[in-house]
Amino acid sequence: MITTEHLSKQYDADLESLRSRVLEMGGLVETQIRGAIESFTDGNQELAERVIVGDHQVNGYEVSIDDACGQVIVKRQPAARDLRLIMAISKTVTDLERVGDEAEKIARMAKSIHERGRIQNERLPEIRHVSDIAVRMLRQALDAFARLDAAEAAQVVRQDAAIDAEFRAILRQLITYMMEDPRTISTALEVVWIAKAIERIGDHAKNLAEQVIYIVKGTDVRHTSMERVEQEASA
Amino acid sequence: MSAISPDNSVYVSRRRRNVVMLSVSSLALAFGLFWLIWILSTLLYEGGNALVRLSLYTQMTPPPGADGGLANAILGSLMMAAIGTLIGTPTGILAGTYLAEYGRQGWLASATRFINDVLLSAPSIVIGLFVYTIYVAQVGHFSGWAGSIALALLVIPVVVRTTDDMLKLVPNSLREAAAALGCPTWRMIMFVTYRAARTGIVTGVLLAVARISGETAPLLFTSLNNQFWSLNMNAPMANLPVVIFQFAMSPYDDWHRLAWGGAALITLAVLALNILARVLFGKNA
Amino acid sequence: MEAQAAARTPIMKPFVTEARSAVVPADSATKLQVRNLNFYYGSFLALKSISLDIPEKRVTAFIGPSGCGKSTLLRTFNRMYSLYPEQRAEGEVIMDGENLLTSKQDVSLIRAKIGMVFQKPTPFPMSIYDNIAFGVRLFERLGKRDMDERVEWALTRAALWNEAKDKLQQSGNSLSGGQQQRLCIARGIAIKPEVLLLDEPCSALDPISTGKVEELIHELKRDYTVVIVTHNMQQAARVSDYTAYMYLGELIEFDVTDTLFIKPSRKETEDYITGRFG
Repeated sequence: MITTEHLSKQYDADLESLRSRVLEMGGLVETQIRGAIESFTDGNQELAERVIVGDHQVNGYEVSIDDACGQVIVKRQPAARDLRLIMAISKTVTDLERVGDEAEKIARMAKSIHERGRIQNERLPEIRHVSDIAVRMLRQALDAFARLDAAEAAQVVRQDAAIDAEFRAILRQLITYMMEDPRTISTALEVVWIAKAIERIGDHAKNLAEQVIYIVKGTDVRHTSMERVEQEASA
Repeated sequence: MSAISPDNSVYVSRRRRNVVMLSVSSLALAFGLFWLIWILSTLLYEGGNALVRLSLYTQMTPPPGADGGLANAILGSLMMAAIGTLIGTPTGILAGTYLAEYGRQGWLASATRFINDVLLSAPSIVIGLFVYTIYVAQVGHFSGWAGSIALALLVIPVVVRTTDDMLKLVPNSLREAAAALGCPTWRMIMFVTYRAARTGIVTGVLLAVARISGETAPLLFTSLNNQFWSLNMNAPMANLPVVIFQFAMSPYDDWHRLAWGGAALITLAVLALNILARVLFGKNA
Repeated sequence: MEAQAAARTPIMKPFVTEARSAVVPADSATKLQVRNLNFYYGSFLALKSISLDIPEKRVTAFIGPSGCGKSTLLRTFNRMYSLYPEQRAEGEVIMDGENLLTSKQDVSLIRAKIGMVFQKPTPFPMSIYDNIAFGVRLFERLGKRDMDERVEWALTRAALWNEAKDKLQQSGNSLSGGQQQRLCIARGIAIKPEVLLLDEPCSALDPISTGKVEELIHELKRDYTVVIVTHNMQQAARVSDYTAYMYLGELIEFDVTDTLFIKPSRKETEDYITGRFG
């Protein structure tokens, strides 16, 4: 999408390195979520531990990318699309860092659940399903960011509704489950937290996609209707 | 290894050329200064005695063999130079203003500029002959007026040229700034560009005065000479250059002494004017 | 503060005509209406059919690379070009219902209404006081007292009074570059124009002086319509309410400054302001 180059090659290089570091961070965060979910579904304690430790790396990315954004602003006084890119990156890394936090949270929860013994409820397939949607959204959002593709970003925004619906379904099922057998309440509550964390991941992916639309189209579509998002993305 | 080292051949030959050129120009300078100092020292040596005698300034030009001074010639020179300057300066400044401010591009300006340059370098004897033809020959006698006119004609081109040049040195942005306030052109010239070019123009006038105070040729045909103290501009008038010319050509020692004195006097006056001009101009530059 | 808020808050979509040059900002009265303006240096066409509206009591900036015609456009507004016989303008620059280009009004009167400050400070070779009084005397006969007041007023407005009040009788050239430029602005506003044209007013100034002049521009727009030409895009972004981007004698885009710098609608503008020009 960024076709012409700046007069300053160094400026291009700076922006390009920023973009690729965001994608690296996105890749890392995606691995973290996958690991966290897997540690929960498969009861892999060692993996949960790795995810928990790995969050430091995610945090490190956030700080260093934000710092690099500050440097570009100071050195280049970016305008128009460049300005939007920098602003969006700065917000995106915050979202990605939160996703990382959610992954860490899931891993901690998984660890504590499995420390108390094997999980014995049938909600695992639903969790797996909703987490698949969340991961796909995140990947698609990052992909839209990499290609600066507003249409793809709009699709991500649309999927957020699906994930919310899934979350509510899981919640209802878990409530039923708890009412049937009060002994499962503590574990079920933890599963609710996990589902909630996954739902949050979807929200962050949606934010990321909205930033992509902002970069490409210059329109802020946060807190607007889906129709408006579609309209702006295809404008 | 870098090519830049003290024994780099391009560098060495450039240094050598530099030394040669510096020596040549220093020699030329010394050559010029040598004659200048010689002239000045001869003048002061020969004329110094006459200069310090009060009678030079109080007594009239004497007949051969008698004692006297140059009082009438000094007066005549001062009067004619003053009137010449008074006529020539306003004319010159106005013409120069036209060239620089109004007629920058027009054919009239370039023609005027060209003619002015010719006039600037015209031999002064031509001016003298010209005034003789159109004035002295018509009225039938030499006069102080004729001398003044001839001197004015010498002043004008110098003043035109310096006014033109000095006004052109005033940055155009100043003119635009004045115009941007809604200032009419004449007012802009009077209050802005003249002010900015003031020292330069005054310097030009001083140099013109210096030039005419030593001119002999134009006065020889116009004011001629007068042995007596005379304030009558309509009669022949004594003046230093012609007196010097006459006395120096004569066989009398007394007259020679006075001629040296007059020559030294003019030279010192011109020197003083030049220094004054330099001081004035230097203050702003 | 309020004026600023009023200028910035509405999300205005300026009306852009088919001719792509005619742009009309929506939120303020129009002070100068430029229509189909062509400008020639000899036979060279330097401005190509420019149309735009300069809003009243706002700051409008012209940006663009060297030679794009932004200064030329500015100089048509007060007919500066008519000092030079080989320059000529066609079209309309309408102020108060009258086309300034063909006006029968004396050009001096037009220039008194539309003041101008230049790139290099141009103090006149006279005292600070006289620099300001000079312009005032062209149109008003003021007593000493009134004139003193006017000089103080102008210098105060130009944020120079405190620095200059003790040396009013000194030459204008004795001031620093930044002070000289503010003196020129004071001189311009002393005759109470309606429009103030600033032709790269800060390009010869250091950052601190630039900051002061920019602050001053902000103050001035309460009472004047300000048009500024600048090479410095950040400066345009900082001081102006509207920005016009020009290129090769054409008006490429004219919009609310914030919009133009964050979301320009034309690729040419985007390339220029993001440094992709070349």
